[in-house]
Amino acid sequence: MIPLPGSRALAVLVTALALLLAPLRAANKEINLFAWSEYFPQSVLGGFTRETGIRINYETFASGEEMLAKLLAGGTAYDLVQPPDYIAEALIRNRLLLPLDRAKLPGVSNLLPEYLNLPHDPEQRYTVPYMVSTVGIVVNTERIKEPVTGLADLFAPRHAGRIVVVDDARELVTAALYVLGYPLNEINAKNLAEARPLLAQWMKRIKLYDSDSPKTALLNGDVDLGYVWGGEAARLWSENPKFAYVIPKEGAHQFIDVMAIPEGAKNVDAAHRFIDYLLRPEVSKAISDEFPYTNPNGAARRLLSAEQLANPASYPPGNRKFDTFRHLGETGALIDELITDLKNSR
Amino acid sequence: MHALSDTAPAPAGGRRAGVMAWLLLAPLGLWLVLFVVVPIAGLAVYSFCQRDDLGRVIYDFTWENYARVFDPIYLRILGRSVGYAAVTTVICVAVGYPVAWFIARQRSPLRERLLLLVMIPFWTSFLIRTYAWIAILKTEGLLNGLLQFSGVVTAPLSLLYTPTAVIIGLVYAYLPFMILPIYGSAEKLDNALVEAAHDLGAGPIRAFSEVIIPLTWPGIAAGILLVFVPAIGMFAITDLMGGAQVPLIGNVIQNQFFRARNAPFGAALGIVFTLMFIVTYALAHRRRRSSASP
Amino acid sequence: MPSAAVIEIREVTKCFGSFTAVDGVSLDVAAGEFLTLLGPSGCGKTTLLRMLSGFETPTRGALRIDGEDVTHLAPYRRNVNQVFQSYALFPHLTVAENIAFGLRMQKVPAAEIERRVGEVIDLVALGGFSARRPHELSGGQRQRVALARAIVPRPKVLLLDEPLSALDAKLRQQMQLELKRLQRHLGMTFVFVTHDQEEALTMSDRIAVFNRGRVEQIGSPSDIYHHPRTTFVADFIGEANLLRAEALSRTPAAVRLRVEGGLEVEIPAERWPSDWTSGVVSLRPEKILVSKRPIGDAAGFTARVTDELFQGALDRLHLQTESGTRLTALVANESALREAIHAGDTVWCGVHSDDVAVVGPA
Repeated sequence: MIPLPGSRALAVLVTALALLLAPLRAANKEINLFAWSEYFPQSVLGGFTRETGIRINYETFASGEEMLAKLLAGGTAYDLVQPPDYIAEALIRNRLLLPLDRAKLPGVSNLLPEYLNLPHDPEQRYTVPYMVSTVGIVVNTERIKEPVTGLADLFAPRHAGRIVVVDDARELVTAALYVLGYPLNEINAKNLAEARPLLAQWMKRIKLYDSDSPKTALLNGDVDLGYVWGGEAARLWSENPKFAYVIPKEGAHQFIDVMAIPEGAKNVDAAHRFIDYLLRPEVSKAISDEFPYTNPNGAARRLLSAEQLANPASYPPGNRKFDTFRHLGETGALIDELITDLKNSR
Repeated sequence: MHALSDTAPAPAGGRRAGVMAWLLLAPLGLWLVLFVVVPIAGLAVYSFCQRDDLGRVIYDFTWENYARVFDPIYLRILGRSVGYAAVTTVICVAVGYPVAWFIARQRSPLRERLLLLVMIPFWTSFLIRTYAWIAILKTEGLLNGLLQFSGVVTAPLSLLYTPTAVIIGLVYAYLPFMILPIYGSAEKLDNALVEAAHDLGAGPIRAFSEVIIPLTWPGIAAGILLVFVPAIGMFAITDLMGGAQVPLIGNVIQNQFFRARNAPFGAALGIVFTLMFIVTYALAHRRRRSSASP
Repeated sequence: MPSAAVIEIREVTKCFGSFTAVDGVSLDVAAGEFLTLLGPSGCGKTTLLRMLSGFETPTRGALRIDGEDVTHLAPYRRNVNQVFQSYALFPHLTVAENIAFGLRMQKVPAAEIERRVGEVIDLVALGGFSARRPHELSGGQRQRVALARAIVPRPKVLLLDEPLSALDAKLRQQMQLELKRLQRHLGMTFVFVTHDQEEALTMSDRIAVFNRGRVEQIGSPSDIYHHPRTTFVADFIGEANLLRAEALSRTPAAVRLRVEGGLEVEIPAERWPSDWTSGVVSLRPEKILVSKRPIGDAAGFTARVTDELFQGALDRLHLQTESGTRLTALVANESALREAIHAGDTVWCGVHSDDVAVVGPA
């Protein structure tokens, strides 16, 4: 990166000033929101501010890990965070989230039961689901004529140089564990050693790693296959139905991105109001209109068009059970080291 | 003997900085302390610490992070990063030198305008410029369109997400940092020296190698430092134009902080990298000093 | 005067855009000659020198050096070397390396380079400085290095572009002598550019006086000084009283002139074009013989001394004739051999007819 030194210094100065002025903010007149980039329609944020007078400062991250790193580093006092389920689990275990006041969240009743009381938050005390996404295969059916039904097909030698994969070490390892028949949360040295040769072969065939916008390379025609977030695949499908979405037959998992209030939040009341606002059917529908992930809000789903509900990447047909990631402790480092090593030995 | 008095050292303590001078220096000093010394000191402390399973830094002393830096995996990545940076630097010198020389030899109004052209890219964000390159190099992009239209190739070339694309991106990003210091040296070079070389029988090549290169060496050295060192640590271009296939040291460090949540190891990598920078600089500096004095 | 021409300049013109720097100059330089191109700045003398060294190409005309047409030859293929006004010493090389540069370019064997560099270092009295770099030398030493570097390849012609202009007056005089001595010692052809008339007069075999891209007059220093043929030459070199003159009468051998201020003098007929009735003549101030009464049968006029200025070696007298013409005369200092003349005195001014130079039409 080549930002001019001046601009970086300026950014730091502005941040420092903002921190100095922070105590002067009127309580519960604004919310510091820390969430995924490209995940909130401007109309939703604006609508809340118009209705309540509460301003929202929206700071973004690009991966759950980045979110965790910045949250732990301190600095800004966030009022509301949006971790994926397995990061939320880690935060709960380390007592870094405040319990929610359910009396202030009547909208929770709109959520479908299959997205509640999951292992990361068994009693639903700390988190409220926002959107859900699977991870699956996208196929450009104009270019790829042979059927692709699973991960072994995706990474077949004939597809070498035509594949984009999310730049995420754990996703790669998970795909390999599925093919080998191991549960996705059993990360240990033995399983990783078995996954290694398989991954080494696969990674030679991957053209591009991109977590931020894997759909771009598919749209540009630089690659024809992808192992990507369901939301990205849903957008591709609505752009052009030639982009088919396939849930891998070997196994698939889903993320639930949740809303939660971290320890140290200053505007707990306002944060609750915002969460409940998001749970309103018409607000939740507006989010789905712009970001076609799987909407866990039953009342909102009833407002969606037939076309939206037919999007196979948003609402995979059939009644597949999906796994979820659990928080990994120290073993997370093994994954990172394995993928770095394999990328490096190309 | 004029010569002797020229080189005689100034008497010790001959000049004393006044209060005013210190006051003028204070903002710079404060800036250096706040944004250079403090962060590096923090990094140095982190690099000897451990982490808990969430990635929080635990202040328990360990050498482990440094031991891991010297693991063959990371040494190879470092080696490759240096390789990419070296290729980038060589291309930047080869392309940037003639450009800088040409600009420096122009008359005044044209010269300033050409210099402006070199700097214009800085007016847009670095990321936007990199995305522009993606639009040029992608399979259905401008360059392939042009090549196919003109019949040079029949099938589109695979240009994006290759090491070539990374090098193109790096050269593009750093070329101005090579051109500007060389321009600075070339512009100061008295044209009479070039004429003197020709006059004494040196053809274009010998005049270039025996007179022009040695006399613009300070600019070349500055350009090499400004390109080589940052290019080693670049990560955005490898991600965007190289498809994140092959990690360079910058990617690894960024990963440690934001993905692997291993700040202590990232800090150790950063410290080693900073030390490398200092060593490179010291070597280049010594080279310059030794070539400037008898 | 040495014989065969080593440089032949034929109708050379050089234009920069709409500006004509050198305008149809033709000139020969003889082998072993010390020729000075003299003129004010912007007169084209340096441009002509740069065409000889090859840094500029003539717009029209031809240049030959040692019989070879060099009009379009690259500088590094010409057997001439130049001493630059700024010396242009290579700052990254030592004195010895600077001097050896030309020999290295000619691929002279190392042992011979060492010998010849050693010789020339002795010749220009730089012994003990060979390991120094240019920035460790004084101005005069740098000048010698530049000179040594240019002569060591033994060029056919040495071109010198105002090489002494950066030196102080005393050092300059010393270097003038050294340069002249060196030129005689080497027998080398020197083409020397300067705007300093004194320097030109001191050192040259011949002087070419430049004005506005043209050669006004070319000749030996004494010829140029004593017989300037144009008002520009008379005025630029030395001091001149420029006075109107009318032809009174003419015989085949002589013309009788009446010069402004009252002087009547007879000059040889060939110096006054037959169709002129009037013209301008130049009288050098030091050629005016000033005394209290007429001396011998020399031509003269009377004038009043308005000012007397002491100038060290000479006294400068400001004179005004009865008709109002103002002149300047330089006379030797008052001494036992010279009567005292003071401001207010009326004096007689004698002029020898040889000292009356016809410099142009009225």
